[in-house]
Amino acid sequence: MKWLIPMVVVTAVLAFVQLLTGSSMSPVTALAALFGGDGTERQIIVELRAPRVLVGLGAGACLGVAGTILQSTLRNPLASPEVTGVGSGAILGAVVATTIGSESPIEMVVLALLGGMLGGGVLWLVASLRGSDPLGLAVIGVLLSAMLAGATLILLTARPQLAGAMTQWLVGSLNGRTWEHWSALWPFLVIGLAGAFLVTVVLGVLAVDDDHAKAVGVSVTPWRIVVLMLAVLTTSVAAATTGALVFVGMLAPHAARALVGSDQRVALPLSALIGAATVAAADIVAQNASLPAGAVTAVAGAVVMIHVAKRTSAATVGGMR
Amino acid sequence: MIRGFLAVLAVLLIIGSLMLGTPFVGVNRLFAGGIEHIVVVELRAPRLLLGLLAGGALGVAGLMLQESLRNPLAVPELLGVSGGAAAAVTVCVVFGLTVPGAPLLPAVAGAAVGAGLTLLAVRGAVGPEATLLIGAAVSAALQAVLLAASALADSRDQGVLVRYLLGSLTGTDWADVLVVGIALAVVTPLAVLCLPSLKVLRLGDEAAASAGLNAGRARVVVLTVSCLLIAVVVGFCGPIAWIGFLAPQLARALGTASAFWSMVFGALLVVAADLAARTVLYPIELPVGGLTAVIGVAVGILVLSRRRRRVPA
Repeated sequence: MKWLIPMVVVTAVLAFVQLLTGSSMSPVTALAALFGGDGTERQIIVELRAPRVLVGLGAGACLGVAGTILQSTLRNPLASPEVTGVGSGAILGAVVATTIGSESPIEMVVLALLGGMLGGGVLWLVASLRGSDPLGLAVIGVLLSAMLAGATLILLTARPQLAGAMTQWLVGSLNGRTWEHWSALWPFLVIGLAGAFLVTVVLGVLAVDDDHAKAVGVSVTPWRIVVLMLAVLTTSVAAATTGALVFVGMLAPHAARALVGSDQRVALPLSALIGAATVAAADIVAQNASLPAGAVTAVAGAVVMIHVAKRTSAATVGGMR
Repeated sequence: MIRGFLAVLAVLLIIGSLMLGTPFVGVNRLFAGGIEHIVVVELRAPRLLLGLLAGGALGVAGLMLQESLRNPLAVPELLGVSGGAAAAVTVCVVFGLTVPGAPLLPAVAGAAVGAGLTLLAVRGAVGPEATLLIGAAVSAALQAVLLAASALADSRDQGVLVRYLLGSLTGTDWADVLVVGIALAVVTPLAVLCLPSLKVLRLGDEAAASAGLNAGRARVVVLTVSCLLIAVVVGFCGPIAWIGFLAPQLARALGTASAFWSMVFGALLVVAADLAARTVLYPIELPVGGLTAVIGVAVGILVLSRRRRRVPA
């Protein structure tokens, strides 16, 4: 438990700094406005910055949960929304929703969910065909993501009027997030987080091995499907509301595990917090350089992924030799 | 038999690329005068030629990467090579930087940086899969740089973005063909010189050593030349995703992992995909790289899932 409370504080501080960061006014003015400044400045904070911060925290927490679930359930330290096809599938779904002219964020989340299920389903199929060594499956997941991203770009080109939002989908950003996005996000966030916390015990059992799970009376396949659906749900909500915040779902679970080990009851909430804090920190950096937040997380996450790939390769390939 | 079929297919594709589209130009009118003639000579012919050149170069480069690294999935898209070249060119284009030799020199520099980053990151990793994943992570970071640059420059030119993300032949003119042709004319002899050592490298480092070849040095040379080939293509057409994987794969299916057939398949694939990209949804033009990405990766996943089933780990 010892890391949870400090992490709540870190996340809160980062979120507060994020609330004060922005191009329209200096942090000092923002601070003054927060405690009863004049109309416009206060309005900017309440109508523009607050939903931005909340959507970022929510999406980050979702991705942290999704990454933890994927990594423990698939027993693959490399699994993450980006390396399983779930993330790109969800983006494809959200872009399909915009292509058919859907305005409501709920429809977008539902289609993202279908897309995420498609991506995850294909990976599941391939895994059952060829067996699932961690590195090989991750390579297939990367390929699958590339394919779904290609399809997404075809859709975006086929509808030139949507192409303006292209960057937004391919590398997520919190620009222009409103209370409408937050109201689409929070019900699913609550469902996803509550569901994930309810199944942490199962998660811990599935992470060990199937025989162990059977021995303690967990029916493996149904539970794995339930748990993976939670991962798809949380990934899709994040994708539909922010676009691809690349590698947050890779980074957060590894950071959490490095801090507290593999006890899911602590690691899962910690990963959610780290995910939220990562997005807040990335957005602070991104806003100061007027970059999309997803670009910052992509570069930071790539470093983590390289490190994990090396360690996994040393453990599995080296171990066989 | 198969060669005859390929030759017929090639002729059909080439004539088809000149005829099809809007306006449709009948085969008897291809060389007649008038507006149709201008469409064929000024728009379709350079596009066809650039497609052939780019596809051929990518096919050969892909084969060189795969044989020298002895990994069927060693493709430019997963090694940071395409990503680096594309990011460098995009930065130059969206910020309107005037760089000498653009887009060729930035592409070469970017490919070198991308490949160098991957090589640096790969140090200490074991096995082909780890190499690919690390390359994929580097590529993802480079793509984020590309997208960030385009967002930072507030570029409204989505065509540039699509071209350097996936690859496209839209808006090709004779000047492009000329530059790419000259650049490839310089690099191709180097590639031909690499072929003998490539044949030895694919047998493994020990075989190479017993044949009197310094495997490490030979591999660096082969990789450098393939990066040059890729950079030339990416500079002008973008990565034309996964041709560097598909073409050698088809050549292997034919029973010959030869550079020649890889080149032929690469060229034909790009021309066929571009024909589809510009006619299927007319007047909307799809990026040719989108089609090749979807088809190429689907084939890649099939290859991987079949390969492992036969040899259970």
